[in-house]
Amino acid sequence: MTDRDRNIRLEWLALALALAFAGLVVRLVYLHLLTDETIRQSVEDKGTIVKPILTGRGRILEGSKAGNIVALNVGMFDLCADPALLAKSNLTGQVASSLGTVLGVTSEELRGRLNHPEKRFAYVARQVPDDLVHQIMDLKTPGIFTRETTLRRYPQGGTMCHALGFSNLEGVGSAGVELIADKYLKGSEGFLESRLDGRRREMYGWRVQDIQPQEGADVYLTLDENVQYMVEMALDRAMEKHRARGAWAIVQRIRTGEILALANRPNFDLNEFRTARPEQMLNRAIGQVYEPGSTFKVVAIAGALNEGIITTNQIFNTENGRWSYMGKILRDYHPYSQLTVSDVFKKSSNIGTAKIAIQLGNERFYKYLKGFSIGHKTGVDLPGEEAGLLTPVEKWSGISVSRIAIGQGVAVTALQMLGVANAVANDGFLMKPYLIRRVVAKDGTVLYKGAPEVMGRPIRGDTAQKMRDLMARVTEPGGTGTKGAIEGYQVGGKTGSAQKPTAGGYSETDYMATFVGFLPVQNPEISIIVTVDEPQPFHTGGLVAAPIFKEIAEQAVRYLDISPSAQTGLAGP
Amino acid sequence: MMRARVPGLIVAIVMILLVLGIVILASASSVRGETYFLDAQYFLKRQLIWLGVALFVCALCARIDYHVWRKLAFPIGLLSLFLLVVVLIPGIGVRIGGSRRWLHLGPVSLQPSEAAKLATVILFSAWMALMGPRMRNLKEGLLLPLMALGLFCGLIFLEPDFGTTVLIGMVGMLLLYLGGTRIWILGIIALLGLAGFVVAVIHDPVRLGRVLAFLRPDLYPAVAYHLGQSKDAFSLGGFAGRGLGESIQKHFYLPEAHTDFILAIIGEELGVIATVGVALLFLGLMACGFFVARQTPDPFGRHLAVGITLMHVIQAGINIGVVTGAGPTKGIPLPFISYGGSSLIIALAGIGILVNIARQALAFERDDETFDGLDAIDSAKSG
Repeated sequence: MTDRDRNIRLEWLALALALAFAGLVVRLVYLHLLTDETIRQSVEDKGTIVKPILTGRGRILEGSKAGNIVALNVGMFDLCADPALLAKSNLTGQVASSLGTVLGVTSEELRGRLNHPEKRFAYVARQVPDDLVHQIMDLKTPGIFTRETTLRRYPQGGTMCHALGFSNLEGVGSAGVELIADKYLKGSEGFLESRLDGRRREMYGWRVQDIQPQEGADVYLTLDENVQYMVEMALDRAMEKHRARGAWAIVQRIRTGEILALANRPNFDLNEFRTARPEQMLNRAIGQVYEPGSTFKVVAIAGALNEGIITTNQIFNTENGRWSYMGKILRDYHPYSQLTVSDVFKKSSNIGTAKIAIQLGNERFYKYLKGFSIGHKTGVDLPGEEAGLLTPVEKWSGISVSRIAIGQGVAVTALQMLGVANAVANDGFLMKPYLIRRVVAKDGTVLYKGAPEVMGRPIRGDTAQKMRDLMARVTEPGGTGTKGAIEGYQVGGKTGSAQKPTAGGYSETDYMATFVGFLPVQNPEISIIVTVDEPQPFHTGGLVAAPIFKEIAEQAVRYLDISPSAQTGLAGP
Repeated sequence: MMRARVPGLIVAIVMILLVLGIVILASASSVRGETYFLDAQYFLKRQLIWLGVALFVCALCARIDYHVWRKLAFPIGLLSLFLLVVVLIPGIGVRIGGSRRWLHLGPVSLQPSEAAKLATVILFSAWMALMGPRMRNLKEGLLLPLMALGLFCGLIFLEPDFGTTVLIGMVGMLLLYLGGTRIWILGIIALLGLAGFVVAVIHDPVRLGRVLAFLRPDLYPAVAYHLGQSKDAFSLGGFAGRGLGESIQKHFYLPEAHTDFILAIIGEELGVIATVGVALLFLGLMACGFFVARQTPDPFGRHLAVGITLMHVIQAGINIGVVTGAGPTKGIPLPFISYGGSSLIIALAGIGILVNIARQALAFERDDETFDGLDAIDSAKSG
């Protein structure tokens, strides 16, 4: 073999290698430049994640010294699936049966949820507890994944349910404080746009957007779980004892308007809000309007006293319990021939009260009705409040004044009625009721502060003092509210036993029994209203509601450290 | 004069590749370094130390008269075989990722299969120079060298290091072809080798998977995944690349981003200009090496120059083929660029020898020119 042969072989080899490299260059150019644009885009977007960063909804804390949490978030997982992937790997049936066993759902139901090969997302189960999720994820089923979520929990269950309300599965407040303070509680969701590396971990250096979530603020209530407990226990007993349709009660601090307790029966467990019926969810104390009956006599008499057209000792002819006014008969429950104004109130004479109101006159009476904010929402920081019904004075009939004076042909909420008694106790100042004491952001900033707010002063202080005396006599022997009396305390109050309106008249058997009162009379600290809907067989406020008032008030004065007469420092936080 | 510049050209090509390699390694290895060693420069620092050693070895080899290797060919071959045997002994050879390829000597680890590449080239060149015309014989031209080649390849195959086995086999066969072995014999041997390749592939499920994944990627998503990531890297790079350090694929998408698949990161960060540039630089290295071989008067130097050149260029070709998905996946580093000390030292040692051959060949050329007259007289005499 000559050098020349060798050189030829070398040249052939060089040519072969050059061709091979040319092929590689073509391949490189192809890969670099000739990739389909859509594929290139998908490669470019690979690992890109865009996800909301959930934030913790704020807590709700009650107002006792303990400041217990009554609503909070618990970390949970939503169990999700990629139905398309499951279908592709023929796992739908298998996954449905295996997960069904763990989750306690029938495999048919799960299959129904998962058998959607066209979908890339489906919930297998929402808000699954940690241990169950780990158990399922340990199976490492392709196409099954989790999403972090939170579950709103209410440690006290049904306590305060109507005031607290609840937030729905999406974490949006849907009732009560949860709804009204939603903007504080929810915070703001964060947002992350970034990329994942090949191990599915985030590459921090590649973050496009990173908006930190704003944690929800905590809401502190004036509601005191201990007072609330007293009220709820009393209502439960009353519901049973009186076989009632419903019952509700509110406890309020007189000087400030803070609500210490607000409860309704029937109620529901907040953690099971999805199964609650509408009648259980109704916040009757602020959402149900009803004719107040005799409790409403406070307004007309206070108005007449304030105008100076009557005195407490003035005698009215109560017509032996039967009086025809403008062709309509008005009756008293207990007939009397004549009564002083004090006794008209103490004995709850319809005739006497009607005559006082007639003497006061439509225009002036209406002024006081407006002054006590009848027919207007109190503006309490709860959703679902009703305004009540008050016919404008221009549309009153001849007898309207006599009927409205005794709480007929006018409708109020328990909260409004309590506001009237409260104003009497508070030297005539009508306080705006509230139950959100403050809202505090996670960093300690106070975002909102509930403060006492005077809505008006319908009566003067001296009138209020006279009315307190009148109301105190109601619980004294011979009054309608003796069962509301508390040993050692002077209690002011008023009973009400309103027949429920029916089509074309009033029911003979269905009543609303109410007692509204405050104590101690000379330095009033708290006011309480109790209403029982359709109690059987007894139905008067004095027999049904007053004992409940007493039961609540007796415990509350001890708990709140209210002394029988002297002014005390405000107990509680 | 063009010829005088060839050694410099070789050095320049290699330097460009080395610099590119270090720059891209700094980027490609940073993620793994930081993740596993809490030091983004972990691999870079080590590679720089190796580079220093390798450049020293290169300079040394460039100054040693290459004829020395002819005398040392047999001892070198034996030493290389010895190391290849030793590395297979459990407890001495270190098993990493299912292969027993490394010898740990204190703080450094060596890859005997890398040394074997240069050793086989020296051994073959020496043998072919010794046999001269007898390379046409079946025994000296084929059977004996084939036995030696089989021994080397067999031992490397046992590690297993399939890529290097194929590389050494190919270079050995090509040297025989250039040495004068009859083509039809080589053809038969090539067919036998191909058969052996097929058997080896079918024998091993991993290798079979790789080949099948190459042929039908849709059926082997797991195997095809890595290759897909590599192709994606080129696609992401486009014409001018994403920019240095901007690779996405190095973030654990691409396996072996700093070793076997480093070209993909070059492509992603610097674009088609860089990757085609790398391919052309290796082609340029081939041209220089072959040119040197043609200018070398003695057969040993000629074979050595071709052998060393082929070793680098074919290795680069296989690597590029694998990374671009033009050939089945097998682990083989890109010379001068991939991370790895043994590979770098051997590659630069080879370049040192090549430069030495080139210098001597071109000095000889210059002598030739000086004695132009004599040459003319010689031709006149023979004519």
